Amino acid sequence: MQNAALLPVAFEVVLLVGALLIILVAVVFERKLRYWGPIAGVTFLAAAGVGLLQWRDVAETGGGLFFSAQNESLVLSPMVVMDGFSAFAAIVLGLVGLVALLGAWDLVASVRQRSVEFVALMLLAVAGLHMMTATPNLVVIFIGLETASISFYILAGFIRRSKTSEESAMKYFLLGSLGSAMFLYGVALTFAATGSLSIYGENSIRNFFSVEIITEPGILLAGLALMLVGLFFKVSAAPFHQWAPDVYQGAPSGAVGLMAAGVKVAGFAALARIFISGFGAYIDTWAPIVAVIAALSMIVGTTVALVQTDFKRLLAYSGVAHAGYLLTTMVAGVEGIPAMWFYVSTYAFMIVGAFTVVSIVRGPTSGNAPIGSFKGLAKRSPETGWLLAIIMLGMSGMPFFAGFIGKVFAFVVAGEADYLWLVMVGTLTTVVGFAFYLRVVSTIFSSAEDDDERIEPSMSARFAVVISAVVTVVFGIVPWPLLDVVRDALPL
Amino acid sequence: MPILSILIALPLIGALIVALVPRRRPELVLPIALVVSIPPLVAASYVLWNFAVGDASFQFTEHVVLVESFGISWSLAVDGISLFMVVLTALLFPLSIAASRSITEQVKTYMVLMLILETGVLGVFLSLDLFVFFAFFEIVLIPMYLLISMWGSDNRAYAALKFVLFTAVGSAFLLVSIVALAVITGDQMGTFANFDFRNVLQADLSTTTQYWLFGGFAIAFAIKVPLFPFHTWLPDAHTEAPTAGSVILAGVLLKMGTYGFLRFNLTLFPEATVDFAVPLAILAVIGIVYGAAVAIVQPDIKRLVAYSSVSHMGFVILGIFALTTQGMTGSVVTMISHGLTTGALFLLIGMIYERTHTRRIADYGGLAKIVPIYSGFFLFAVFASAGLPGLSGFVGEFTILIGSYLTLPVLTIIAASGVILAAIYLLWAYERVFTGPVVNPKLEGLRDLGFREVAIMVPLVVLIIGLGVYPKPVFERIEPSVGIILERIEATTGYIVPERGTPEGVVDVHYGQVSESPDHEEEGG
Repeated sequence: MQNAALLPVAFEVVLLVGALLIILVAVVFERKLRYWGPIAGVTFLAAAGVGLLQWRDVAETGGGLFFSAQNESLVLSPMVVMDGFSAFAAIVLGLVGLVALLGAWDLVASVRQRSVEFVALMLLAVAGLHMMTATPNLVVIFIGLETASISFYILAGFIRRSKTSEESAMKYFLLGSLGSAMFLYGVALTFAATGSLSIYGENSIRNFFSVEIITEPGILLAGLALMLVGLFFKVSAAPFHQWAPDVYQGAPSGAVGLMAAGVKVAGFAALARIFISGFGAYIDTWAPIVAVIAALSMIVGTTVALVQTDFKRLLAYSGVAHAGYLLTTMVAGVEGIPAMWFYVSTYAFMIVGAFTVVSIVRGPTSGNAPIGSFKGLAKRSPETGWLLAIIMLGMSGMPFFAGFIGKVFAFVVAGEADYLWLVMVGTLTTVVGFAFYLRVVSTIFSSAEDDDERIEPSMSARFAVVISAVVTVVFGIVPWPLLDVVRDALPL
Repeated sequence: MPILSILIALPLIGALIVALVPRRRPELVLPIALVVSIPPLVAASYVLWNFAVGDASFQFTEHVVLVESFGISWSLAVDGISLFMVVLTALLFPLSIAASRSITEQVKTYMVLMLILETGVLGVFLSLDLFVFFAFFEIVLIPMYLLISMWGSDNRAYAALKFVLFTAVGSAFLLVSIVALAVITGDQMGTFANFDFRNVLQADLSTTTQYWLFGGFAIAFAIKVPLFPFHTWLPDAHTEAPTAGSVILAGVLLKMGTYGFLRFNLTLFPEATVDFAVPLAILAVIGIVYGAAVAIVQPDIKRLVAYSSVSHMGFVILGIFALTTQGMTGSVVTMISHGLTTGALFLLIGMIYERTHTRRIADYGGLAKIVPIYSGFFLFAVFASAGLPGLSGFVGEFTILIGSYLTLPVLTIIAASGVILAAIYLLWAYERVFTGPVVNPKLEGLRDLGFREVAIMVPLVVLIIGLGVYPKPVFERIEPSVGIILERIEATTGYIVPERGTPEGVVDVHYGQVSESPDHEEEGG
């Protein structure tokens, strides 16, 4: 195992060590927040730092494959890949985890003695998410997916006394498991068709396609379709999105941020890794399907969001639409990956910020969040109101906010790939989307009866929302640095 | 000195200053907002003053590449067309801010939004990069939406949403076209995409491509103008908006559409322009007559002015798509004039509305006896809007009619009826509001205009007279820039711009020669 190195797996290792440390601290010392708050924060920061180190290393060495068995008797494909793609995912996931932790801190504080599990699960979930992006092996992707998913099922049902929380967790578990199962079945069929589980390396799927031509691709296509559907479930693309509104609405507001952001980042990274990198040879087969799902997601997500009265459901449906814009980048193949990264990395911060505001306004353990309860927010808590307005405009795709750059980038790459009809659908749904995002904005600024009832967000929640809004504005006005970075965030 | 960047930044800096006004001192907000809205006007005047007359090329150019691979740059410039739009914008904002004293709720947010709006509008008129242009074009929606939906009158939520959705649907087509154009340009230049106006100009577009892209741009701008049949958002938005919102909407936001036609449609897609000119001119003429006819029967004075905008903007579009120097120059002059006259009308309506809280024409009558100064200003604005010779409205619309008669005689004759209809709806409204006996007892004892209100109106009055009596300085700055657009159309298509006074079959005054047209004798006889 001469190619075993620490750096490629350091992200997961750091998070695991952090999680274990927190549990140990909790066992040895009293179960007091003041210990594991900083530990978890430092862990996420360290993980993001590891991402930076990986990025630098990849820039110097070009990255590579790790943990492949060398001896004759044991033929194992490489288990870990380190490239610009995985390093960028590490940076984003580490920072999103940190912001989500800040945003969830009110919730952590309110569940008191059980908070240690909560924080540890957040760390584990992010480790699982990154595992999905940093491996060439389809089974390891599945393991990462399940690590993250199981953590999220528990987080969704964390408020045991709340029926909505339990319902949310149950729904998430049942439909999430269905998605996972389909993905795994797809992996199995792919293995049956190609004899390989790995995207890169000697006996990889890519090499298989370069030397063999499958004359009867039925099994392979079934495998591809099942993997696609499994991941569509996870990223809540229409028509596999029905779980998202219920889960988001029922789950405690503080916990939804990471759930919504992290799964999108890792889910799309996995989609890009598997389909663009692994099955790039079949792009003409899967891209039309992805395009149709993208259009469907944009249309369904946007139109159904129009009639939502609950802010969390609205965010869930808008998330479906965002899944559509992200899928739009996929049809462009490798060219689309930078656009995907730009979009998903900025969206992740926005959605965490949005759910943090929900947790500020409605309380961290709350389930429902009627839009009416955001009335007059700009007066009850001016900074929260303005910041949420910024985040909403960012999501809507207004110019000078990050969402706009992301959308135009997505449309340009899709246009380059001759999917102009998809660009048409995307721009039109963006317009319709303005209707509900602006409705939220004008609700924030409208007058309410209880204007005097001030809302004082906690320090950590305030911090999370500020970071989220800053990302939205900065990468909306000066997106060039990030655009330069994502251009290098490509898979091997 | 990057004066244009400074010009765009100044209102934004002003917005920041206004945002810093302490919460406990709301009375300071309006004066400070007014003060910070003056520097952009100074900067715009500087540009106007130093603008080289007779130079058709872009002036005060600034160019900084932002993203190499996407060909996105911070590229600003003015020419004779955008110059006056910029000055008009910089002028109308301080006036609208000064006229916003009736805003009492959340004044700070209001002023911040106004100043952000000004930045957006200036950006639209100054940007030459399609990406940046689109960004500004779109961002204007947000402050305007909030201005209407938060400070508008009764039906504001509906009007604000209608405004945003209509315009944004247009923007969607615009964005698709811009992306397609950038990708095509990029392909031809060997890069990923290119949004720079001057590079896009070099792109080799097939006729079919031009048709599609022209269509995409045209829908966006036609909704913004608004051109019949896309005008239905306008009466609602104008009527429900607060006074300043109406002034800015009519005064400068509509011009973003006509400006877009001139800057992008005509310049980038000459072949499509020539082929689509007549259909668009027909829509324009329908708009002229329809807008005027509907204005006559409006019971709401603000709605009446709103419909008159549809009519006036129809003239602008007719002038543009007549594809003659006179027509286009007249269009730009009308854009300026319409900004001044409609701005004046909305300001005046706002002033009386603050006192009476009604916009229904039937609620008024005999105002001239009660508020003579106000009535005087109103009559002046009515005359200017109706196109009384010697005032700005006449100069623009008359030039348009001269220009469009050369290429579209029948349409021009129909359009001319719009001038008469304008006199009817404006003077009849004046008659019902200002003359006759005072029926409504609430009108007794109304306060006439104060010093502040007169001070708001005077600059507009002076400019309306100035433009009406001595329009030469404006014409000589516009004509070269318009000429270059037509030259490009002539150079790339078979279209020939007719000379003034030399339509087919008529004695050529210039050279004293007789053209060879067979019906010459009839004409001569």
